Amino acid sequence: MKKGVHRFALLVASATFFLIIAGALVTSHDAGLATPDWPLSNGQVFPKMVGNLFWEHGHRLVATGVGLLTIGLVVYLFIRERRQWVRRLGVVALFAVIAQGLLGGLTVKLMLPLAVSSAHATLAQLFFCTTVSLAVFTSPGWLEDRPTIAEKGTVPLRYLCVGALVMILLQLVLGATLRHATTWDLPPDKELLIAHIAGAITVAVVLSSVVATVFRRHRDERFLTRPAAWALAFLCVQLVLGIAAYLARLASPNDPQPLNPMVGITVAHVACGALVFASTIILTLRAFKILRRCEVPLSLASSEVA
Amino acid sequence: MFTKQTKVWLILTVVLSLLALASACGKKEETTSDTSGPASTGKAYTSKGNEGTVTGTIAFNGVPPAPKKIDTSADPVCGQKNTNLTTEDTVVTNGKLANAFVYIKDGNLADGTKIAEYTFTVPAEPAVLDQNGCHYRPHVLGLMTNQKVRITNSDPTQHNIHPTPKNNPEWNQTQPNGAPPIEKTFTRAEVLIPVKCNQHPWMKAYVGVLKHPFYSVSAENGTYTIKGVPPGTYTVAAWREGGASGTEKTMSVTVPASGSATADFAFGEAATTAGQPGLEMMPALELPMTGRR
Repeated sequence: MKKGVHRFALLVASATFFLIIAGALVTSHDAGLATPDWPLSNGQVFPKMVGNLFWEHGHRLVATGVGLLTIGLVVYLFIRERRQWVRRLGVVALFAVIAQGLLGGLTVKLMLPLAVSSAHATLAQLFFCTTVSLAVFTSPGWLEDRPTIAEKGTVPLRYLCVGALVMILLQLVLGATLRHATTWDLPPDKELLIAHIAGAITVAVVLSSVVATVFRRHRDERFLTRPAAWALAFLCVQLVLGIAAYLARLASPNDPQPLNPMVGITVAHVACGALVFASTIILTLRAFKILRRCEVPLSLASSEVA
Repeated sequence: MFTKQTKVWLILTVVLSLLALASACGKKEETTSDTSGPASTGKAYTSKGNEGTVTGTIAFNGVPPAPKKIDTSADPVCGQKNTNLTTEDTVVTNGKLANAFVYIKDGNLADGTKIAEYTFTVPAEPAVLDQNGCHYRPHVLGLMTNQKVRITNSDPTQHNIHPTPKNNPEWNQTQPNGAPPIEKTFTRAEVLIPVKCNQHPWMKAYVGVLKHPFYSVSAENGTYTIKGVPPGTYTVAAWREGGASGTEKTMSVTVPASGSATADFAFGEAATTAGQPGLEMMPALELPMTGRR
């Protein structure tokens, strides 16, 4: 029974990932204002998809698909899912995708103000986070009974994971702001670029530490080591893509138009950022699922005092 | 019924809906009047019949960057008129630079009054900006505040015209092939307003908006002429695109009654500025221009 819900949630999360790629393509092509109206494009539901309108309207079509899929998921959850909090999370996802659509409309109507465009890009990642969480909560691995494990070490792994998540989210916000601050034909904003590079170093250190902690404390627990390994792998790819994206953007103002190498690399950088975020979310949720604070028995504590 | 978190999302969604609706329904005022500038408060200039001209040549020193080929595969119609569509940011012929915007930036008339204190008659004839062969024609255009600019589309494809000014309201409008011309005005002086087409990202134009009619754009042979200049001493500026916001050079010239002054500018490597002999010269200035995406 649950498998169907899980598969549907996986579909929504995958579609959302594809939507993030479609959105990144719009930004890299500077296609956000290829049509001045919203929700229609040049007054049509299906305009002629030429030039940059292909990317902007394509993004809108994919977004519509994701919106419909999210509605379907919420309906599915209300029919099949017994856990009230999971249903409510589905409703949160629905509101998030509606808000995201409206932010997309706002950014077009207001002609891409930095704050709105960055908020649109950030909410995309938060919505993706919600859909990934729904896929995790409905997965067979989450539903099966698992013995709880005592936290080891002075700082609980769960808190380290939350810290890494916060750092990654801040880095995503910085990245979104950097991308929307200037277009391909202008050099990237220097201050934002420095902040984003500093953020990358911080995330690399924090996430690597979290992954190392997982392998040091719970090396036999595949429930934790697997997402940790994925997070580390995505992080390594992301750092390489970040350097490549930096070099590509430094060169792009001399190009006659947004060229495929720059577009491909910057979009891959955005997509991989989402995967780093998603894998860390999975790790964090799983850590909260099976790890518990190590309780000191009262009798033992008393004897130690005596 | 709902959790606190759900309620927060609900409120956020409603607020954003209202903002989007207000934004979609509200008529944006695109022609705000500039009441602070001297053009609307100054005294009207009347011709004395002794006006002169400023002429000159814009040179480009060194090897100009080669035009870059544009990939029109996203809209093949763009490649039909010109199969070898290239960039137009640096057009140099025999060492002379086209598309430099030359204008009187400041200065005094012979009687000591500032040129900024006068208002000048706005031409009734609109300036024309055409989209032809997936390029803006002309590439650099000058017009006066409140003068109409008529934008036409001669291409068999749709474009969107999107000026990104700093002092004037920004707008973005689609113009399908065969659509009637679009007429707009800019009410505040601004040198220069970048105009782009978001459907064809290589398409760029620059519009210089001034409160007086003393401007010109260098031709293919690099020459320019500014006519009808009242006798006086002025700062003449030449602007060319490139980099984040273009490059501007200035020099001082004195326009004699019914005479002509020369102001030659040079861009590129080891660029120099040369005015007519005996004139007070200002050093060539590389002024960063204000610009935006």
